[in-house]
Amino acid sequence: MNAPVEKPSASAAGARTLAWDGPTRLFKWSLVLLVFDGWLRNTVGGAYPAWHKWNGYLALTLILFRVLWGFVGGSTARFTNFIALPGRAFAYLRATLAGRPQKYLGHNPLGGWMVMALLGLVGLQAVSGLFAADEDRLVIDGPFVKFVSDATVSFAAKWHHRIFDAIEILVLLHVAANLFATFVKREPLIQGMATGYKPVEPYADEARARPGSWAAAAVCLAIAAAVVFGGILAAGGRL
Amino acid sequence: MKLVFRTMLITAAAAIAISGAYAQSAAIAKRKDILKGVGDATKPVAAMLKGEAPFDNAKAQKALATYASAAKELKGLFPADSKTGGDTAALPKIWDEKAKFDAIFDKLAADATAAAGAIKDEASLKANFGKVLGNCKACHDDYRAKKS
Repeated sequence: MNAPVEKPSASAAGARTLAWDGPTRLFKWSLVLLVFDGWLRNTVGGAYPAWHKWNGYLALTLILFRVLWGFVGGSTARFTNFIALPGRAFAYLRATLAGRPQKYLGHNPLGGWMVMALLGLVGLQAVSGLFAADEDRLVIDGPFVKFVSDATVSFAAKWHHRIFDAIEILVLLHVAANLFATFVKREPLIQGMATGYKPVEPYADEARARPGSWAAAAVCLAIAAAVVFGGILAAGGRL
Repeated sequence: MKLVFRTMLITAAAAIAISGAYAQSAAIAKRKDILKGVGDATKPVAAMLKGEAPFDNAKAQKALATYASAAKELKGLFPADSKTGGDTAALPKIWDEKAKFDAIFDKLAADATAAAGAIKDEASLKANFGKVLGNCKACHDDYRAKKS
């Protein structure tokens, strides 16, 4: 399943090591774009309900992909490698506040929980959208709206708004933490997620990531898309 | 004589009070009625946009004409004394930024008129109608109380 381990590349700027494989990075930045675009289409482009719905279907597909990828993907993408016990997350938080955190090649114990929270909330946001509609039941409705009661639609719409508020707060925290690490602590986390490589350091989790294969990623994506689109169509929903 | 005069005065005061209250609730009732008409005119077009109904330009044009005339009328139906009562969903924010609020009606009327000229078939409906509906959403997002 896994591609051969890539050799860390040595450059003039110092030795670098693989932190994030291609599928993980592609997933990450695609989700960023989709969530941002979903917000944009709703806020300034309320004119295009069909587009906003596709933001949701694709976001849900990506979240399902990421769940599968968390079991078969690259080492730093695997849940078993970054979901920390709360005790360890608190210990990491205390060490960070004291100014002496350990460095991690993948997600640190706190960052790992942020990732899980973001994945969970974006997933819930997409699912709530399947059952939500505008207040007047006129312009936009999810594919499952016609199967549920009006009260359920109102409930889903209310949570579709609330969950997004929570996503906004977490995104701000997440971006702030990464900007702080990258520009104040001089640990190039953002560059790492962009290029896949980070400087060689005595990382607490592993020295070099074992990448997942593109073929495995394609299979995960195909399964995720089949579940989302197949599920909607099989239930008789209209995209 | 004095009694007659006093009765007249009280009656006049009562009449002014009642007609004031009536004018206020009349504005609320009138705008609710117009907005209901806007929603009813939108329904068949929304179905076309979702692909649930075949394209029917007569219905699209009727909706756009309804928007243009409603937008002009609605601008005058949010007087300062119609902030409350009559089960209105209008938020007080409307009167804090009345110029911005009124500008949405102007834009709705202009967009509806432009779209009416541009819409000929299903493709041009899908390309042009959304922009008009965006004005409904812009106003409802900011100035209408949420039901829940």
